Parts: sequence; C-alpha cells; structure tokens
Amino acid sequence: MKHVPENTSSPVIYLNNAATTWPKPPEVIEEVARCLRAPFFEHGRSTAGGVTDYPSAARDALAVFFHAEEPGHFIFTQSATDSLNLLIHGFVKNRKTPFHAITTELEHNSVLRPLHTLEGEGRLTLSTVPFHDDRVTLQEIKKAIRSDTRLVVMTHGSNVLGSLQNIRPVAEYCASNDIFFIVDGAQTAGQIPINLSEIPAGAFVFTGHKALFGLPGTGGFYLQDPEAIASTRQGGTGTDSRDLAHPQDMPQKFEAGTPNYPGIASLLAGIRFIERQGQDAVMNKCRGLATLFIRELTRDPAITLYTPAPDLPVVSFNIGGLDSDEAGFILARANNIITRTGLHCAPLVHERIDGGKGCIRVSFSVFNTREQIETAAVAIREVAESAGS
Amino acid sequence: MRWRRVRVLKSVQTKVCVDGSLMKEFVLDEPLSEGFLKFLEQFGTVRHLEQLKKPYFSFEKEHFVSIKGFVGDCNVEVRYKKEFQDLVADYFHLLLYYEREGGPGITKLKGVEESIRDKMKIRLGPSDGNSR
Repeated sequence: MKHVPENTSSPVIYLNNAATTWPKPPEVIEEVARCLRAPFFEHGRSTAGGVTDYPSAARDALAVFFHAEEPGHFIFTQSATDSLNLLIHGFVKNRKTPFHAITTELEHNSVLRPLHTLEGEGRLTLSTVPFHDDRVTLQEIKKAIRSDTRLVVMTHGSNVLGSLQNIRPVAEYCASNDIFFIVDGAQTAGQIPINLSEIPAGAFVFTGHKALFGLPGTGGFYLQDPEAIASTRQGGTGTDSRDLAHPQDMPQKFEAGTPNYPGIASLLAGIRFIERQGQDAVMNKCRGLATLFIRELTRDPAITLYTPAPDLPVVSFNIGGLDSDEAGFILARANNIITRTGLHCAPLVHERIDGGKGCIRVSFSVFNTREQIETAAVAIREVAESAGS
Repeated sequence: MRWRRVRVLKSVQTKVCVDGSLMKEFVLDEPLSEGFLKFLEQFGTVRHLEQLKKPYFSFEKEHFVSIKGFVGDCNVEVRYKKEFQDLVADYFHLLLYYEREGGPGITKLKGVEESIRDKMKIRLGPSDGNSR
C-alpha cells in the first residue's frame, strides 16, 4: 500500500507513528466527516434528535477497550500532556502541605516539566529514579520512597527505548501505601492490550492521536477516585448552571467547555478499528515490523542501535558521523522517509544512552508494510555508508 | 563573465529550534550547484555526501549560519545561530549574491564578514569572539 499525501505526488514512508499515527484508518476519517455533517449532540443543551452522543459512546467504548468499571470516569482532554498537567496540578492542589513525589528517568517532558515546575514553586520535592536495562523496577522506586511520598508518576512504555514497564507491582505497592500512582500510557494505549481492572493505578493517561488512531487534539485519562484530584478548570458544563460552584460529579468535574466532538468521534472510530483488526493482531504486526527493521540494520557497524529488542514498535539509533538531525533531513528530503530526530522530549533517557545529543527514532503502525521497512533500511544503510566514506 | 545570481523566491518555513537558533527554509529560483559548494568552502566547513541518490551537503560557520541542502535542489534550510541572529540575518543572501562574482565576490564577502565579526567582538567583550 502506497501512502501518498494529498498535497504531494510522492509516496511517503511514514515512520513517525510514536509521535502521531498516519495514515488514519478510512473509518476514522468517515466518522469525523459524519460528526461534522450533523448538529452536535450536546449534553444538557438543546440538541437535534437522532444524532450520535459521541462523548458517551466514546466513554463506553473506552471502558470496554481498557476493561474499566466506570465509563463516566474517563475524562477527555486535549492530549496526554494536558491530562498529565490536570492530574499532577490537580493532585497538588488537593494537598495543603508540600510532599515528596517520585518519577523516573524514562519520562517525557509532559511528566518532567509539570513536576519540576511544582518543585520550583516549593509545592513538592522530587526524586527521579534511574532505569536499568531499559526498565524501572519496583525495587528502585522503593529505594526512593520516603515517609512523605504521596505521588508516583511513571510511563507505561518508553517513547525512546520502546521498553514496556511492569506497572502492576508498582500500582499495587502504591495502592497499599497511600501513594497516588499516575501511569502515562501515551505510548501503550492502543498499542498493547491493557486491562485497567487488573492495575490498581490512581489514574491512567492516554492520548488519542497515536496508537488509538484519533485526531491530534484528543486524549484523556481514567481516574479511579475523583476525590483524589481537584479540578483546575471551571466553566460551563450544561448542568446545574445556577450554581456558580463548578459541579463535582463525573465527568463534568474535569470537563468544562464545549467538547472536541470531531476529535472524540475520531477516537471512537479508532477504537472500533483496533477492535475490528484485533488488538493482538495489531501488536504482533507492529512488533514484527520492528524486528524486521532491527534485523536489517543490526549488522551495519556504522549504525548504533539503542533498542535491540524493544517491546513496543519503536527503534532508536544513530548513524556514525552524522547528527541525527542531518540524517533525518536526508531521509525526509531525499527518500521521502519520515522519522523523528533529536531528544524526543525525553532528555534524561538521552543523557544515559547517547550523551544527550539525541538520536533517530523510527516507529511503526499497522499501516506500514514489510516493503516499506526494507526500503527504509536500504536508504538508512546508504546514508550510513555515505557518511562513513 | 558575470552570471545572473541565484535569488530567494520565498521562505516556506520558519521555526525556532531547541538551541534557540532560527531555521528558515528558502525556495531558490534555480537549483544549488557544485559551484556554490566550492564558493561556500571559502567561508566555512562544507560536508558533501556525493554518493547519495541526492547529493547532500552541509555548511557550518561558527557564530554565523549552518546550511543544509542537496545539490540540484531549489530548497535549502538555513539555520541562524542564536547569539547573533540580527547580525547574520542577510548572510545567506550575501552568499548567493557574491557567488556569481567569483574571486572578487570572495574578497568582498570576506570584507563584509570582517565588519560583522567586529560587531560580534564588541558584543562579546574583549576576551571572546576570536573563533573563526
């Protein structure tokens, strides 16, 4: 299958799916168009009959997809970054005194920056736990625990190393020690099967535009206990409008203003697409592509591979003698191969793996083909050979 | 013999990079040539990967600009270093302007460079600004 963007005649090999999946499934595009063709179904407001209540339908779909008990505890946001900000700042707002929080070296800046901002304001003190063999263990987290530890924020899957983190024991430990545990599932939601009924995390964060195949501008979180987090946004909800205090019932507590109806429609269609394909089939295909790509590059001495056996379809590497930025530029402009280069918003990982200079990351989706992977590998080897000569 | 100089038709992309430098992508009215690379060699470090399907080049000039592109391509990416963006804003245009003058163009542009460097030195103070 050749993917040709509408504004160009050249087929593109798009390998930046860990940032945003492309192309989107046809049914996602059709659902967004369908959503825009009719008046929106608006809760608590006058609305046309016979139209889809996308927020409710998507909450129901998310609850089934992630095996969560309460559809109403899924909150829609703009992105995983937005979700993490709402949760982290909302948790701090609920605490009267400063406390200790723990995060890890694997995190994205969407976790690190809110925590560091709050640390700078004196609202919390922060420990950052190292990773070993691409993973953060419960043992390492326990070493950082203090009597005043109240929050742990941790990724479910590294966006640079592609390593899946074993969050269940961390969730169980936190749940039994009065520590709120936020899981950043930006890289895993839609990519691997996730059963929230088996993971007692305080909150699970997802984004819509990556492996769930929704539009950019969609995301959300599942919150076990709404009391744990204060709302940091207030506004119109279409309910209880005489009361100037913001409603505290779910999901209105965290959703003020008009929802992103087309975005939520895309998320609903994305989930249906994965269900139709089969989550295991999607995961296995993507892993197979990553394995093929690694096999193609692994014997080239000019290529330094940082992810020899990733759990997620993410492969990070550098080409000897070339900045990642230059390599990405050549691949994009000379070969129409779209990768992501630089620090991938995860600066602490790069300090450990490449001295902080950044790397090239390729990431696959179910729409990539073996032919694309082989073509990309040939192009990368050519660039490596040319740079080394 | 004096040739018509290459001109910038338009700027199609501008962004501020992580290190604070300003990146602009220009579209030129004719493709970049091997001759332009030879000219660039007079002013900084040129890297040329000729064996690639599209021959890639980069140009690096400390404190001034870096350039990335392909020989035979009309698009070129120019990055203006953070510290002296105002002083080097015209530098890429000057490279295009003086290229077609050959030897005299090199001399003239070296002169322009010296005056830019003098301003850089003033800004950096007496102990810095010696690197070329």
